[in-house]
Amino acid sequence: MSTAAPVFWQKNPALAWREIDDETVIISPQDSVMHELNNTGSFLWKNIDGKKSAAELAELLAANYEITPDIALSDTQALLAEMSSRKLVVHVPTTGEVAT
Amino acid sequence: MKAPVATSRRGSRQQFELSIGSVPLRLQMSDARLFGAASARYAAFTDAAEQPITIALNDGATAEGALADFGYEFEGAVLRAFSNQICFDGVRNQYALDSLLRIFLSWKLLGHYGFLLHAATVIRNGKAYVFTGRSGAGKSTVASLAPEGSVLTDEISLLRRDDGIWRAYGTPFWGEFRAAGSNTSAPVAGIFRLLQAAENRVEALRPMATLRTILPNVLFFSPEAEANRRLLEILNQAAREIAGYHLSFRKDRAFWEVLPA
Repeated sequence: MSTAAPVFWQKNPALAWREIDDETVIISPQDSVMHELNNTGSFLWKNIDGKKSAAELAELLAANYEITPDIALSDTQALLAEMSSRKLVVHVPTTGEVAT
Repeated sequence: MKAPVATSRRGSRQQFELSIGSVPLRLQMSDARLFGAASARYAAFTDAAEQPITIALNDGATAEGALADFGYEFEGAVLRAFSNQICFDGVRNQYALDSLLRIFLSWKLLGHYGFLLHAATVIRNGKAYVFTGRSGAGKSTVASLAPEGSVLTDEISLLRRDDGIWRAYGTPFWGEFRAAGSNTSAPVAGIFRLLQAAENRVEALRPMATLRTILPNVLFFSPEAEANRRLLEILNQAAREIAGYHLSFRKDRAFWEVLPA
C-alpha cells in the first residue's frame, strides 16, 4: 500500500573521521581499516546528516560544483553505493519501518 | 644495572615503579620469577613518580560485574582497565606483560595527547628523528647505522605533545636492535616514512600525506568509536604540527646528509 518513501542517509555512528585539506580520513575501528574520501566525497560526507536523500545531496553537489543535475545525481548515487558497500553510510529507518 | 624500586607489600607481593613516556606506572605481582624478569627488562625505565597508575598482575580480585573502561585479550592474557584499578590477568611471562603494557599505553596515552608508533627514533643534535614504516621498511637498519647511544628505540616510538611541543620518547619495547634502552625524550625534528631506494632523497609531505603515513603504523587496539575519534584528533594535530617526509634511502650512513637540520 505504501508509495516509495525517500531513503535518507546517515553516517555509520561506529566510525571516526577527520577532514584534512578538503579530504576526509575515516577509521573503521571494528576492522581497523582506513578509508579516504576525495574532495567530492568529502563534500557529500559533510552533508550526509540523516535528513537528506540522494536527490537532495545531488542538488547540493550540482550547486557547489557547477555540474548538471543528471551528472550530480549519477555521481551521488555511485558514491553512496560505494560508501554503503564499505559500511560508511547506512539508511535511516523510515517511519514505516519503525512503526509496525 | 640499576635496580628497580622493589618493596614488599601484603606478604609476598612485590612491586616496582617505572615511567614510559612520562606515564608513571606501578606493577604489582606475587610471581617472583616474573618479577625478576620484568624488573630486569624495564630497569632502564625505573622511576618513582607521584601517583603512579597501579597495575595488578594475576591478582584476580576484580569486582564481579564491574564494567571495564577498556579491555583487551591477547593470547590468553587479559587487560581490564577500570576507573580505580588496572588488572592484567593470565600473564605467564614477560612477553605477555610486554604486550599488555603496549596495549594499555596505546589507550592511556589518549589522555596525555600521545600515541605509540611503529618507528625507530634516533637523536641527532638534540632532536628526535622518527623513522616509520612497516616491518622490513628499514627501521632496524636506520637504528644500526646510528651512532651508539643515539637510538631511543628501533621498534616502537612514543610521541607526546607537551606544552605545545611534540616530543619523542624512548620505550622499553625493542625490536631486533636490542641495545640498552634509554628513558629520555627530545623534540621531534620530523617523521620520515622509509622507502629503500638506490639514492638518498627526502620529499616534504602535506599534512594529509603525513597522516596517511602515520595512521597505518600507529599501535591502537580499542574498537570504541569515541576512543578512535580521540586518536584521530591527536594524529590530525600531529600531522599538522610535525614535519612529515618520504625518505628514500640506501642502506648506508650517507642518508643523514639529505635530512633537514
